[in-house]
Amino acid sequence: MSLREDLGQMQKALEARPHLLRLGRLFSQTILFKVDEDEFYLTFERGYLTTVTPGPSRKTPWRFAFKTDAQAIAAFWTARPDPGFHDIFGLVKIGRAEIDGDILELVKNLRFFKEFMALGREART
Amino acid sequence: MSEIEQIVGRYVTIVVQGVSQRIYFETAGQGRPVICLHTAGSDTRQWRHIMNDTEITGQNQIIAFDMPRHGKSLPPEGYETQEYLLTTETYIETVLAFSAALGLDKPVLAGCSMGGRIALQLSAMHAEQFCGFIAIEASDFQPAWYDIDWFHRPDAHGGEMGAALVSANISPYAPDVERWNTLWMFMQSGPGVFRGDLSFYTEDDSLIGRLGQIDTRSAPVHIIVGAYDLTCTPEDAQRTARAIKGATLSIMDELGHFPMSEHPEGFRPFFIDALARMPLSD
Repeated sequence: MSLREDLGQMQKALEARPHLLRLGRLFSQTILFKVDEDEFYLTFERGYLTTVTPGPSRKTPWRFAFKTDAQAIAAFWTARPDPGFHDIFGLVKIGRAEIDGDILELVKNLRFFKEFMALGREART
Repeated sequence: MSEIEQIVGRYVTIVVQGVSQRIYFETAGQGRPVICLHTAGSDTRQWRHIMNDTEITGQNQIIAFDMPRHGKSLPPEGYETQEYLLTTETYIETVLAFSAALGLDKPVLAGCSMGGRIALQLSAMHAEQFCGFIAIEASDFQPAWYDIDWFHRPDAHGGEMGAALVSANISPYAPDVERWNTLWMFMQSGPGVFRGDLSFYTEDDSLIGRLGQIDTRSAPVHIIVGAYDLTCTPEDAQRTARAIKGATLSIMDELGHFPMSEHPEGFRPFFIDALARMPLSD
């Protein structure tokens, strides 16, 4: 499955989770998701992922970015990841991901974003 | 089916650094006293499964208390104008005053995270008052990998942000119900409490220079750490254990930073093993 397809599955899974949409009701931002050299701009509107735009683009502003590599995100998207691969901050701590931009905006919406990112586990399995 | 648990809760007032503190505590069982300390930003409920484990409470009196401002222990008078920043000195005095108020005779001291850190501090500075130390998810020092000021601000809910952050430290093997019970306690944490605890945990490195003072011949030290703990990693705990002559260490492959709360069944054998390493009361 390609990353674009993963994100499409995650978009559908998000819309099927009322609690997650409720958590994200104040989250309307564009964020950059970068895996190796593949870039995707994810635009959320009140918790819904409305568009997934492949990059790279120098014209698209983003609030924060989550950057990792294909092996790391594949390990993160397993049902029971190994230590360090089990959380987005774990990936950062073991040096397999970076978070750039407005980290406070991420932290304010941390549960929403973490649970959204974890939807990739469902997409991959 | 309804069932009344064996845990009993009471209050005791102690004086710490001249300030009166009304402390909530719970007890269960009979036998050797074991004081159990909760993590930063949480409370005594983290120990609920150990306190309801009749195999453990058949031979041990498990005692857990809420630090001031945590759980059901109210903040001290005048808190509304004070900035809460826990210090090693205050924390040590609180534990000693609590133990003295209950008239405990050389209890085992078990603590998790910041509770484990202060257990190691007490093993270095007041070992004669305890018969042994169980330091869980504890090490010499960890600088913050986050900004502690995130967790006390007027435009966001510090408890919910704190819970979302510490969820990084919970193992994927943890049962969902206990994962969310564990996170609920952080969500309930009072304003500025988690930040004030983290100030102690991430900025006070005084234990590093004291590890060599610890004499495990008079009071053993056993360290337990979970592989999924991002805050106190197995490497942090191993480094600390190596610096304490005679300290022992167990690594829990499928647990995280809140083992007694997030995955009680997984933690249980490690805690029973740790208790077996502690001397029995006279």
